[in-house]
Amino acid sequence: MEQVFASVVFNRHLTGDYWLLEAEAPALAASLLPGQFVNVRIEGSAAPYLRRPFSVYRVSRDRRRLQIAYKVMGEGTGLMTSSIRENGRCDLIGPLGHGFSLPANAKRIAVVGRGIGIAALPTLADEAASRGIEVHAFLSARTRPNLVALDIFAEYAFPVVTHTDEARANALVTDALAALAQKVRFDAFYVCGSNRLARAVHALAQKQNVPAEIAMEQHMACGFGDCHGCVIAVNLRPSRGEKAFKEVCHYGPVFQTWEVVDASA
Amino acid sequence: MRAPDLSTTIAGIRMKNPLTVGSGTYGHHGVFGQFYPVETMGALVTKTIRSHRWPGNPPPRVHEVPSGLHSSVGIPCNDWDYFVAHDVPILKGLKVPIIQSVIGRTEDEYVEIVRRCSELGIFAGIELNLSCPNTKQGGVDFGYDPEASFHLVKRARDATKLPLIAKLAPDYSLLSRVAKSVEAAGADAISLVNAPRAMCIDYRTRKPIIGNRVGALSGTAIKPMAVYMVWEVYRAVRVPIFGMGGVTDYRDVIEFMAAGARAVAFGTINYVDPMALPRALEDLTTYLQENGIEDVNELVGAAHDDRDELLIPAENRLESEVPV
Repeated sequence: MEQVFASVVFNRHLTGDYWLLEAEAPALAASLLPGQFVNVRIEGSAAPYLRRPFSVYRVSRDRRRLQIAYKVMGEGTGLMTSSIRENGRCDLIGPLGHGFSLPANAKRIAVVGRGIGIAALPTLADEAASRGIEVHAFLSARTRPNLVALDIFAEYAFPVVTHTDEARANALVTDALAALAQKVRFDAFYVCGSNRLARAVHALAQKQNVPAEIAMEQHMACGFGDCHGCVIAVNLRPSRGEKAFKEVCHYGPVFQTWEVVDASA
Repeated sequence: MRAPDLSTTIAGIRMKNPLTVGSGTYGHHGVFGQFYPVETMGALVTKTIRSHRWPGNPPPRVHEVPSGLHSSVGIPCNDWDYFVAHDVPILKGLKVPIIQSVIGRTEDEYVEIVRRCSELGIFAGIELNLSCPNTKQGGVDFGYDPEASFHLVKRARDATKLPLIAKLAPDYSLLSRVAKSVEAAGADAISLVNAPRAMCIDYRTRKPIIGNRVGALSGTAIKPMAVYMVWEVYRAVRVPIFGMGGVTDYRDVIEFMAAGARAVAFGTINYVDPMALPRALEDLTTYLQENGIEDVNELVGAAHDDRDELLIPAENRLESEVPV
């Protein structure tokens, strides 16, 4: 983990509500593991007051550059679109937290994401694909333009199952996943971006006795463990019962689904 | 030009420079020096501990406001045995004076944790976080009540020989009286301000935003208020002051010192700009050189030109106002 003043390659509209920031940060990009995050500040700017944590969307093949896909939601991300400029610098702290784990000898995994939660999954898909693992993607969003990373997942050759709220006839991605999981064996599930998806994936994982991981979000002040602000309630055992507050930045952002599904205190 | 002397002594604690950190804003899980060596600072103030395990407050715990942070973490704490087994060996290895911050819900809990910390023999001082509701006396914070704070500090004083620092929250009515109370009870220094209480309500749900509903406000937004509180307490007491509240850079350090602080703590800014303290140290050195100031202590109280005059009536009032 380190603070890096990275040169900005570009910062532009991606699709739907999303923007894409690419920065040159070789040390950070080289050591980043899938699912880890970075905490971004507009260099030298007092506004927004806090950094903004983002999962890393993609790392370049030479591992010198990284991309962050972010949803323009409020004042902070709005300022990011106008203040982080091509050829300028942005202030990054990372890589932060614990990322996804791929089971040894995994042959096939499913990634399930909704909205901006999808942005946490391409680095995992890239890593899995590089190990020869089949990656099946199940992506959901409000509208079609908000299905980020569709192009990335399409590269892996397996059909990408999508759902958008505007196309009401679409089946839920979790139904599609459950149907496919009857026919082929998945070695792990990964989910991000929706409580409903998390519950469905967790239930399926339990039924099939397959590990399932989830990337969590929480409001953060520092992102590197010092403020204890980003806790969520976590089950301490798969059977539930005892719970504890754990910092998403330190113990996560990736958790086992059993740790967080139905854990709210 | 000769390098300026940055060293200072506060509450008997010798610091190589006047910069420190606010309790709970630097280091975690026994990890220090993630961005720069902890030895860069003049003293380390650690996260507040209790005599017992405490889970802290429910999420969400943090909420950004313009130029500041609204938060209610609730001082989560492991049990004492864990602290001794895990944190103490790490703290022992740090080559910097360590001031351990402590809190309790009752006088007895404060005294117990002060005694235990004192017995460890590794701390340069103990900071009493007085921003805890006195559950046995109607729930007003110890630090808002001159009488309760006097009794508490007196008992803590009897429990340790270590320098005691009383940390106070901002208060527009009784702050000077509380400051004089803790001084009279034997506090060796006063630390202020702790983050003041605050609330944010979501206009859509019309409910408080953070999990504990009531939280605190910290960061740049509170700085002018904090500088004023330091200024006022400097006029009321003779013990030295650790000043803090929205410190961002060397200019803020100078401002707090001019108001009367002998040492200055970086707090919430550590979350945002983790190199703020070492950069301020460099910039402060340059400032002193450029202004021909040989000793950093010359800055202390520079904003006051009438302190002695004001101290006399304050001292007189002390006799009648301090409960014993």
